[in-house]
Amino acid sequence: MGQSTARTEKESSVEELKNRREWWFVAEKTRSKRLDYLRKGVWKKGAIGGNYAPGIKIDLTFPQLFIDKWQEHEGEAIMLQKAHALAHVLDNIPIFITDNSQIMGYIGSAPHNIVWHWQGISMVNEEIYNEEGIIPEPEEESLEILANLNDYWGGRTAVDKLARVLDPEDAVKFMSGAIGWGTPTSAATYSTKDFDYIFKGFEAILAEVEERMEETEEKLQGNPSPEILPLYDKLPRWEAMQIVLEAGIRYAERYARLARTLAEHFESDPERREELLRIAETCERVPAKPPRNLQESLQFDHFVQVLSRYETFEGAWPHRPDYIHGPYYDKDVNQDKRLSKEEALDLVGEHLIRTHEVGIFAPKWAREGLQGITGTWVWTMGGVKPDGSDACNDMTVAYMQAARLVRVSNPTFGFRWHPKVKDEVMRECFECIRHGLGYPSMRNDPVLVANTVHWYGHPVEEARTWVHQACMSPCPTTKYGCQPMRMASATANCAKMIEYALHDGYDPVVNMQMGPKTGDPREFKDFEDLFGAWVKQMEWLRNILVRTVNLGRVKDPEFFGRPFLSAIYERAVETGTDACDPSNGDRGNAWVTGFTWVENADSLAAIKKFVYDEKKYTMDEVLDALNANWVGYEEMRLDFVKNAPKWGNDDDYVDDLMVRCLREVSRHSKENRCPSNNTWPLLPENVSGNIHYANLVGALPNGRRLGDALYDGGISPGPGLDKKGPTAVLKSCGKFDHVTDGRAFLLNQRLSPTQLSGEKGYQLWKAYMKTWADLGLDHVQFNMVDDATLRAAQKDPEKYQEVIVRVAGYSAHFVDISRKTQDNIIQRTVQGLG
Amino acid sequence: MKCSACAFEAPIGKFRYLYNARIDSSITMRQCPQCEQWLAVDELLGEAKDVVNPGEAPWGKSAGIEGLAEDVQV
Repeated sequence: MGQSTARTEKESSVEELKNRREWWFVAEKTRSKRLDYLRKGVWKKGAIGGNYAPGIKIDLTFPQLFIDKWQEHEGEAIMLQKAHALAHVLDNIPIFITDNSQIMGYIGSAPHNIVWHWQGISMVNEEIYNEEGIIPEPEEESLEILANLNDYWGGRTAVDKLARVLDPEDAVKFMSGAIGWGTPTSAATYSTKDFDYIFKGFEAILAEVEERMEETEEKLQGNPSPEILPLYDKLPRWEAMQIVLEAGIRYAERYARLARTLAEHFESDPERREELLRIAETCERVPAKPPRNLQESLQFDHFVQVLSRYETFEGAWPHRPDYIHGPYYDKDVNQDKRLSKEEALDLVGEHLIRTHEVGIFAPKWAREGLQGITGTWVWTMGGVKPDGSDACNDMTVAYMQAARLVRVSNPTFGFRWHPKVKDEVMRECFECIRHGLGYPSMRNDPVLVANTVHWYGHPVEEARTWVHQACMSPCPTTKYGCQPMRMASATANCAKMIEYALHDGYDPVVNMQMGPKTGDPREFKDFEDLFGAWVKQMEWLRNILVRTVNLGRVKDPEFFGRPFLSAIYERAVETGTDACDPSNGDRGNAWVTGFTWVENADSLAAIKKFVYDEKKYTMDEVLDALNANWVGYEEMRLDFVKNAPKWGNDDDYVDDLMVRCLREVSRHSKENRCPSNNTWPLLPENVSGNIHYANLVGALPNGRRLGDALYDGGISPGPGLDKKGPTAVLKSCGKFDHVTDGRAFLLNQRLSPTQLSGEKGYQLWKAYMKTWADLGLDHVQFNMVDDATLRAAQKDPEKYQEVIVRVAGYSAHFVDISRKTQDNIIQRTVQGLG
Repeated sequence: MKCSACAFEAPIGKFRYLYNARIDSSITMRQCPQCEQWLAVDELLGEAKDVVNPGEAPWGKSAGIEGLAEDVQV
């Protein structure tokens, strides 16, 4: 990686490698042998430019085991039926222990396998059948298994059932793929988890379930009345919780037995034998009982994550591991001294690797939108405790250090910055960024806590527990704050708002009437008419997505069922409900992700200036140019790009329009209500949706053609369009209120690794961060890899396998993303600080 | 327009439009329908400028300061 000088990386000293910013080789030379082995032995599960790596296969053992028991329990309540099937999987799925590893658990029957959840979406099942390269050998036999599976599940999946109750027009428009993506079911979802409750241990939760069941059975023997009728439905749900919790304990015990067998009969290395016996003790202890040390807490955590992912596709990984595991680190390393810092770092590094290796099949559109990774696994670090004091601890530092040693692209970190963060922790954050990881993203904790209180009314003590539910959105990890189900289907392709306003609601790319008829723009009298049309299209687009997702949410307990998640949700255990049932006290924490947002402000500004203010062009000419995809109008296009005001340059002309658009959306966000009767604020960000939608959004007045990537980020200026430096970008972004004008706002910035080297570089960055915080921005993240390295990686990808870049809400290995995305990242403006 | 790689000639619209990574530039990527080579095209002139191979940058270096601060400061 990087430009090699006369000496090869093997001969170079760590200092020489650091000076050349060859961070992968620095990591190789400084990490332990164990971490080196584990990191190099891990299979790449993220898709490479949209396709899975050679050798990656779909797991067919999992569905076969599941379906055997599922069919046997046909006719039972869905949660109970699923619990039986899951328990059968957990009791029988092949397990393995990787050499040198200390943390157990994998989702699938072999380390090169990826799983999927066939109970969710028929279209995905069909896609797997037709996907080249991932069908296990013998292929014919595997295809027959898949065909049988498709025959059985066709019409029975959660989305198939939902489609039957959705308004048909909504369904067609939603499924067009033009206005949003995702599927409204918890078969593809992400769930916040309350580890304060979970770490009581499964046995304690089982006792609680038992108690509830006894109370209920007693009531059922009493006086007949309407009040007792709902109780009949609760009993099978509690029974389902019991089944999966007990199966979870048995699953861990299988690892304990395997580790003990290996130690007692096969392992010849005495040190490893000891480790295997410790693994056995750990897996006998957790998740049945509360953890007592760092290895047990990490293992407990990982088992919970694995069990959750046997139940459903968790596309994100809401988590706060430094906060959860910090006390155990402190006890082991600082107090009892049973672990050295190096030994603890091995465990933390392996925690990252075990997470990185998790692979779940994603359909092609999701792979395009999340190139190079398997999900947006943004772990939350730092922040404050419920009382507002600094929550950073030694584990925060350990995770940052481990990240630089193992250099995985997933999980990544989002760091909750607040004014009391110590300099040593800030330096750790900066080192990760300087090492080119692209993470942690920096989050403004006071702003986001206030935002979480503002939008949903979470009590401030609860808001302070927040984790990233996906890339960006904070969610409390409390009994009533946890959100059990968030689907990417509340994701709006926002550039359609301006496109539809200019085409009377018609979509010129998919060729159908989508939005309301808001009039021929040629007839608009002034800019206010155009803006009014934009508001109507915005409201329509949000309404259709929110309607669909609300319905998916309330129907999920009936159509999908979550026995394991319910068993680890205190409010579900208490009430005998499915965790996803909004009636059990969920306060609500919904948001609409706004892809391709900034194009609205830039496009509106260009038309306002050229058509209405200066009258340089007529609306007719603009529409002709757009309908021709700007072909034959290159001079005019460049005029629209270069001479119309652009977001990110501290120019009030366009910045005021951005603020106006956001305030309209904020107003509407309070009119849209979730099933818990709470709000639906907008969260502009893109993952790599700006690439996915490149071929679905037509030409726009900001000068973009159909096929061009849209702007990255949620409030990032377009590549090369921010001409006035980083402070102007921050000032533009600081013109709206990050508490009340939306949920969160993703800002990508690219910095020069040469400028930011050494102590001077850190001080420059710190000063930049102070301006960022003073202006009240809620988010910023950085790429710090130079053009030369990225161009060299394009030319010779084999040599640059480990170069990581920040794409949008996630990081990826540069060579795993498409050329279009690569070029989009390279062309982002490199900001000079100071 | 004439392909820089195989000399195939056709109106510019016949060359498949791929993308423009810098919308403030008139340079785009198009693909020759005959030899399938990726070409850098100047849309203002309607001319294929060159074949684009992996690692080549038809738009030049990034905007901003990249390349201006070469010295490593330790």
